[in-house]
Amino acid sequence: MSYLKIFILTIFLLSSFSARAQMNHHHDMSDNNGGFVMNENIDRLPNGCEAIRSEKSITVYASKKYATGVPGIVYGMSDYEWNVEPCSKITVTFINEDNVRHMWMIHELPKYLYPAGMFHIEALGGKSQTGTFITPSEDKNYLVHCDMSQHMEMGMRGQIIVGKGSGDLWSVTGITDHLYRASYLPQYIIFFCVLASIFGFILNAKLVKKERKG
Amino acid sequence: MKKNNIILLLSIIGILISFPSQWYPLSLKISLTSLFGANDYVPLPGSEPQESTNTNEAVCPEDLSGWGNKQTIEGIEINESRTCVSDNPFLVAASVLGTNNISNETLSKSGLSSDAIEKGRDLDGDGDPDEIHIKLEIAELNGSSPISDKPVTTYDIAPGIQPGLWVFAPKLAGMAVENFETQVARTSLKIPSPALRVEQGDIVEITIQNTHYMPHTLHLHGADHGFLDENGEGNDGVPIASEMPILPGESRTYNLKPRKAGTMFYHCHVQPHVHVQMGLQGLFIVEENKPNNYLQTMNVGAGKVRVPSQTSKQSYDSEYDIHYMDIDKELSSRIQESNDPRIVTKSMHRDYDITDANVDYFTLNGRSFPYTFRESLIAAESGKKAKLRLVNGGSKGISFHTHGHKFKIIERDGVPLNETQGTPQDVLWVPTSQRYDIELNFTNDGTNSYGPGIWLFHDHQNKGVTTDGIGPGGNISAIVYDEFLDDDGWPISKGMNLNQYFSSDYYDKEIPIWGDIAPEVSSNPKDDIKLIFRLILLAMFFGIFFSCILKLITKGRKK
Repeated sequence: MSYLKIFILTIFLLSSFSARAQMNHHHDMSDNNGGFVMNENIDRLPNGCEAIRSEKSITVYASKKYATGVPGIVYGMSDYEWNVEPCSKITVTFINEDNVRHMWMIHELPKYLYPAGMFHIEALGGKSQTGTFITPSEDKNYLVHCDMSQHMEMGMRGQIIVGKGSGDLWSVTGITDHLYRASYLPQYIIFFCVLASIFGFILNAKLVKKERKG
Repeated sequence: MKKNNIILLLSIIGILISFPSQWYPLSLKISLTSLFGANDYVPLPGSEPQESTNTNEAVCPEDLSGWGNKQTIEGIEINESRTCVSDNPFLVAASVLGTNNISNETLSKSGLSSDAIEKGRDLDGDGDPDEIHIKLEIAELNGSSPISDKPVTTYDIAPGIQPGLWVFAPKLAGMAVENFETQVARTSLKIPSPALRVEQGDIVEITIQNTHYMPHTLHLHGADHGFLDENGEGNDGVPIASEMPILPGESRTYNLKPRKAGTMFYHCHVQPHVHVQMGLQGLFIVEENKPNNYLQTMNVGAGKVRVPSQTSKQSYDSEYDIHYMDIDKELSSRIQESNDPRIVTKSMHRDYDITDANVDYFTLNGRSFPYTFRESLIAAESGKKAKLRLVNGGSKGISFHTHGHKFKIIERDGVPLNETQGTPQDVLWVPTSQRYDIELNFTNDGTNSYGPGIWLFHDHQNKGVTTDGIGPGGNISAIVYDEFLDDDGWPISKGMNLNQYFSSDYYDKEIPIWGDIAPEVSSNPKDDIKLIFRLILLAMFFGIFFSCILKLITKGRKK
């Protein structure tokens, strides 16, 4: 009886592993009740790195409350910019203080280490997740964002600067301006502009008249 | 000349510097980014502070005169009305007994003229009068005046919303307004025109006394009446088929002896595409002939029937007249634009083109939300049943929907439907002028009712729940169970603060939606002062630039 039990259990475990392997065909995913970390990398070195040069821990909080005081956004993070060394091991603890899902993900990492170039932490509402990745050897700015629909656009957009970086990204909350910044203008602006241009026109005409008289 | 060139150069530099970088073409932005990186963060303008909503009216005015109470007037038992605002019970009593059969005191308190509703002999000897003579006048609400730039004899369908309206009104005694100091119409002058109730087989006369300044008639839609009356005069109210319109200051009596009971309709048939929509429409209900069937001949503004018929009492605990209307402000405002009847007549019947029209206001028993919550709630008690007599008098169909309940259709256009068609449903398409008799059963069984609560009922077409596009508004009302109704008749709700809707500012679009619960993300953004300053500077440099160019050209010509 007990042998049979073990046999059934073994088959069950095996089948669930194979299903899991199929599910994670593209991504290495570690999942638990609070969310998951995808494409974690704790020891594989990127090209150009001979060893891990340093280790750094980052704690990021995400919630609508971090949007308070920042006009025009709805969701926010405790930080939007992180400076890290090349070839360093970064451990990110992502703490979601909202009651809905949020993500902290990086794009354009080397694809031979990170499928689709992505390192991805997803924390369910009220949960936190910790994941580790290793920065590439070259200086570059990487986009960090939440990929819930409209969350990046509504504030959850940051950048991680490896080494000296490669130039600021646009629309990093609190760091850089929007590439397409809306114009907050009252309707009467046209009237004032017309008035100002007439003023400029007359001002110059008067100046020259004085010059002639002189 | 040299100086002009220097100024020209300076103005060009000024233009380049003051031109807002956010308006650079994308290609320029990208090439600048590759040289200098992304622009530094400049916070977006902050949010405008949320102004507190000044509610200048009582949400649920106290019923000082006790009109809503259950009471007996001249031996007539008048049922309780649980809503904040209720009909005048003396008018109800006068409607039941006839203005010719009541004391002077009751008549005076009813506000009706002594010949408004005359009731005569009991012809079939079953204990109730069978000769009924109803007199209706025609009143204009929110019309214009040569001595005021504001509407007169006002009637608000929602806070601050005063569309021009016409109604068949009960024949009243005294002024159209509440008192000398106000322009507010008295309580019995309201839309829709009163729901009329007569008994099957009654000899009914309805006299239209045209107190208005335009021609009108009465058409008894769906009710059994002759095309001609006993004297061979037109009786259908149709100027192109049966009779001439009733001119201002004239009067005509229509006759009928309806053989069939049912929920019917009445309206003016002069230029009906305009006059019906203006409000000249009401329910016409024929009740079954029963012994001692004293009927409430008039239900002013529709709503709860305070004295239901014998048939209704047998099967239902309460009865409601539910009258939906819609209003096109492009039409209703025409009576407010001029006081000259010739200009108004032309504007309404020649300039207004209904084929290009769209409706803006949606009313239930003459009001839009939030006022519907004052007077058109359906008070429910678990296990009881209510009958609704529903008409859509609007120019567009409505998709009648009840939350928390599936209702049964009993009759359509006054004709009983067979059992299979009475299957419970929660959405009912009601085309223009169609009537449905509906049974609402408050038994908590998962079909009829899902239990006590505040359950909305409304037109499920999205625009129907707005007032000129601002929600919540339109014909939203609710079925409210006893335990969710406070002593004043106001629903004990758990959601948004309802006070904010009792402000004309809200429907003037002045109050940001969710400004009170999520100000940071939903209040209006402030203006970008820096950008304004930059643009004014830019405009000034452009002025200087053009004047320099002009000088260059004129100098060149002189030489």
